[in-house]
Amino acid sequence: MLQTGEQAPRFFLEHLNGEPLSFESERGPTLLVFFETDCPTCRLTIPYLNKLATQAGSSSIIGISQDNKAATRELVEHLPILFPVVLDRDLSVSSAYDPVAVPSLFLVAGGKVLATEIGFDKASLNKMANIICDAAGLAPITIASEFDGAPQSKPGCTSRHLEPATDGEIALAANAYARRGSRASRITLDDSVDPFEFCASFGDPLPVIPPTVERVERMLSATSLAPDEVVALIPPNYGAATVEKIAANAVMAGCEPAMMRVLITLIRAVCDERFNIHGVQATTHFAAPLVIVNGPLRRELGFASGSNVFSNVARANSTLGRALQLILTNLGGARPGEIDMSTLGNSGKFSYCIAENEEANPWEPLHVELGFQRSESTVTLFAAEPPRGVSEHNARDARGVLKAISRALATSWSYRLCAGIEALVVLCPEHVKTIVRDGFTKQNARDYLFDNTGIPIKHFEDGEGEGTQQVRLYKQAVIDGEQCYLKFQNPTAIKIVVAGGAAGKFSAVVSSWAAGPRGSQMVTYPIAEF
Amino acid sequence: MPTILVNPLDETVRFQGTPAARLDTLEGKTIGLLDISKPGGGIFLDHIERLLREHHGVSQVVRVAKPTFTKPAPASVIDQLIAARCDAVIEALAD
Repeated sequence: MLQTGEQAPRFFLEHLNGEPLSFESERGPTLLVFFETDCPTCRLTIPYLNKLATQAGSSSIIGISQDNKAATRELVEHLPILFPVVLDRDLSVSSAYDPVAVPSLFLVAGGKVLATEIGFDKASLNKMANIICDAAGLAPITIASEFDGAPQSKPGCTSRHLEPATDGEIALAANAYARRGSRASRITLDDSVDPFEFCASFGDPLPVIPPTVERVERMLSATSLAPDEVVALIPPNYGAATVEKIAANAVMAGCEPAMMRVLITLIRAVCDERFNIHGVQATTHFAAPLVIVNGPLRRELGFASGSNVFSNVARANSTLGRALQLILTNLGGARPGEIDMSTLGNSGKFSYCIAENEEANPWEPLHVELGFQRSESTVTLFAAEPPRGVSEHNARDARGVLKAISRALATSWSYRLCAGIEALVVLCPEHVKTIVRDGFTKQNARDYLFDNTGIPIKHFEDGEGEGTQQVRLYKQAVIDGEQCYLKFQNPTAIKIVVAGGAAGKFSAVVSSWAAGPRGSQMVTYPIAEF
Repeated sequence: MPTILVNPLDETVRFQGTPAARLDTLEGKTIGLLDISKPGGGIFLDHIERLLREHHGVSQVVRVAKPTFTKPAPASVIDQLIAARCDAVIEALAD
């Protein structure tokens, strides 16, 4: 592969329409993009380059297709591609530049290669975009923002010129990041049909609001995105969550139009590869996505964070949670009892959404702890069991309250299973007052819980069971004079939020599904304007 | 006045495939065993491998494993099975 500093060869290829392109590498900075039409990473990258082409002029980018005219034309029209594309019919230019994979980007100026990038990488894309904008006398732009639902980077496919001469790859389902989908079809109901009865099969077994054209249009008026824009593909069936389909499900859930920006952010977040919604939907375990809302939008949109926060207390909480579940079922396909074969299920699959009680939280709220501004609003997702109660009325100090919580934490997943799981501790306002009165910061509390949640090793001597086969992975510690296996691998496995009403000494532990890169990881997305 | 609804369901046109032809015999075949990496899966597949070799005359058994049971098999694992030219693949779990 040609490296930075090497001579950039000139070449002569044809555009799709037959017009010749004579590329003189001495010209101003140009981005050459080698791609294949069936490579999902190329399809992921091109929309970002479209953005650059729109800002800095389409002549700053040249797409070099390694495939035939028909496949290339199809991609140019449907993705679409907004910069010139030429066909490297005999792969001679590919051989000259020798990209190891596609997509490969070569930033070329003054006859030389200034920079290269293999695969999709947001940081690299932004860097190259700035060089192009700088040369065009424009202010620097960010073409790839952090929280748009796409991963930070993604490897590409083998370059066509390096493939052995056998059958080409089959384009798999994942046209993953094509930005345009189709419009939803319309269903016309006869006057004799009760729309509520007709819609009875659209999602959860409770009644939904029929998604009439008028209601959906009102929902769509709350966003500036086009109705056929694809926000995400929902696992496990990878159905397209277009803005219009999201709006229809939002209507069914009973959302107000102002909720659309939160819901669109939430759909991007739930499809973040780190959260692994595919695994969460396919497991026989209890897990369901728990939504936690932070920031000023809680007040603005009517989210409840006090009494009954886990119940049916606020339209915002209940409808956002419900809209998420309807979308997961209707577009993702994991219908409970069918693809979703969870043994016992989870009542959170009706709706599982809380807001943090930031006003009663003496420490920094969850989103600030994670690096966001207090003035930003965020949604966080956690693959969660139902909450388990910790009733603690007699402990008079922080340690007493935290000990009670640690005993509940010890039973996360299953008593003797240590490591590989996480837990969310939901502290009620009365408990958090006691804890903070003894001078504990949030981190102090987390460390205390980590250090003191352990399973006595003697409990591993009474027969095999869940967790006893993995003891070689567990860390040991002495807790209250007893040799124990530490429940969690790391203090970061314990998440802490403050929520609930002002009266009552009842906190909760919410255990996770399989955690970490091999399971599900908690994700937090800032709520954007759409 | 009829009520017109916006279809809230997934309308993706799905490709209708046909299942591969079934094998008429296991004799002389190459069989892939794909472990989804649940606990005990290896033991279960060891049994299957032994049965295939001793009782069904397969000529080759190819063993591969997913890195985690929580996600679909990555392309690199599927590629191994394709490269080995398996006649059939058993994907299995134990637990």
